[in-house]
Amino acid sequence: MVMKKVAMELGMGTSLRRQDYTKAAIRALQDALWHNSLTMADAFGFSREDMIVEVEIGVQKPEKVDIKAVKAILPYGKGSVQVVHGGLDIAKPASNNSSTPDGTNPDRADTDNTVIANAAVNVFFDMQPAAGRGSGT
Amino acid sequence: MKRLILEMGTGNDLYGENYTKAACRAVQDAIHHSSLVLFRSLGLSHEDMQVNVTIGVQKPELVDTQKVADELPRGQAIVTVVKGGLNVQDTDNGTLSVIATAAIEACLDINPDDWQLSR
Repeated sequence: MVMKKVAMELGMGTSLRRQDYTKAAIRALQDALWHNSLTMADAFGFSREDMIVEVEIGVQKPEKVDIKAVKAILPYGKGSVQVVHGGLDIAKPASNNSSTPDGTNPDRADTDNTVIANAAVNVFFDMQPAAGRGSGT
Repeated sequence: MKRLILEMGTGNDLYGENYTKAACRAVQDAIHHSSLVLFRSLGLSHEDMQVNVTIGVQKPELVDTQKVADELPRGQAIVTVVKGGLNVQDTDNGTLSVIATAAIEACLDINPDDWQLSR
């Protein structure tokens, strides 16, 4: 394997009301992917399916991200998803808290957060200079 | 020339009605969502990269293309401005917000015969 990294894409996604870490991660990934159109496979004469796509997600509660759902977003290539502790959670001001007025709603036991996820996508090809040619080092 | 990537972004100037500023911000948004790592990985030169920048704003004639070209850190930039983007008029408060769209194509002279998959 001669993995050559050819591109990195970055994005941010949020879950504003539902503290849905998977949704925030998916939006971050979509932000990263759909800000760019990679046409490198064509340029090198490869297939898009030859792309190796490594996704890294950062959120404050990594265990709450459904990795399968995030991976399902990738349109092509061989994908993998890793989730680490990162991103950012910001507590909502008490007055905006959607728990019951007396604060007894068990689903809202802890303070509501605005959830922010970061996504980094690294794209590789398993490639090398053609035999006897190429400028690669 | 083969296109490596199309980067897209938006930028605005909310109250200054400065179309060049909005265009420059759109360029920054576009270029900072990705990195062309292949130049390092494959030992290619940035100098040979051609960068085609297309800006969309409602008043193309008010964009200083040289200032927009200066936003590009590498390669040979060619800036074209067309009518596009979006202007948002707030008649209640008498303000105009200018939104610019940027599409940036990075192109390089690659010969596909020079490269192959490892397997």
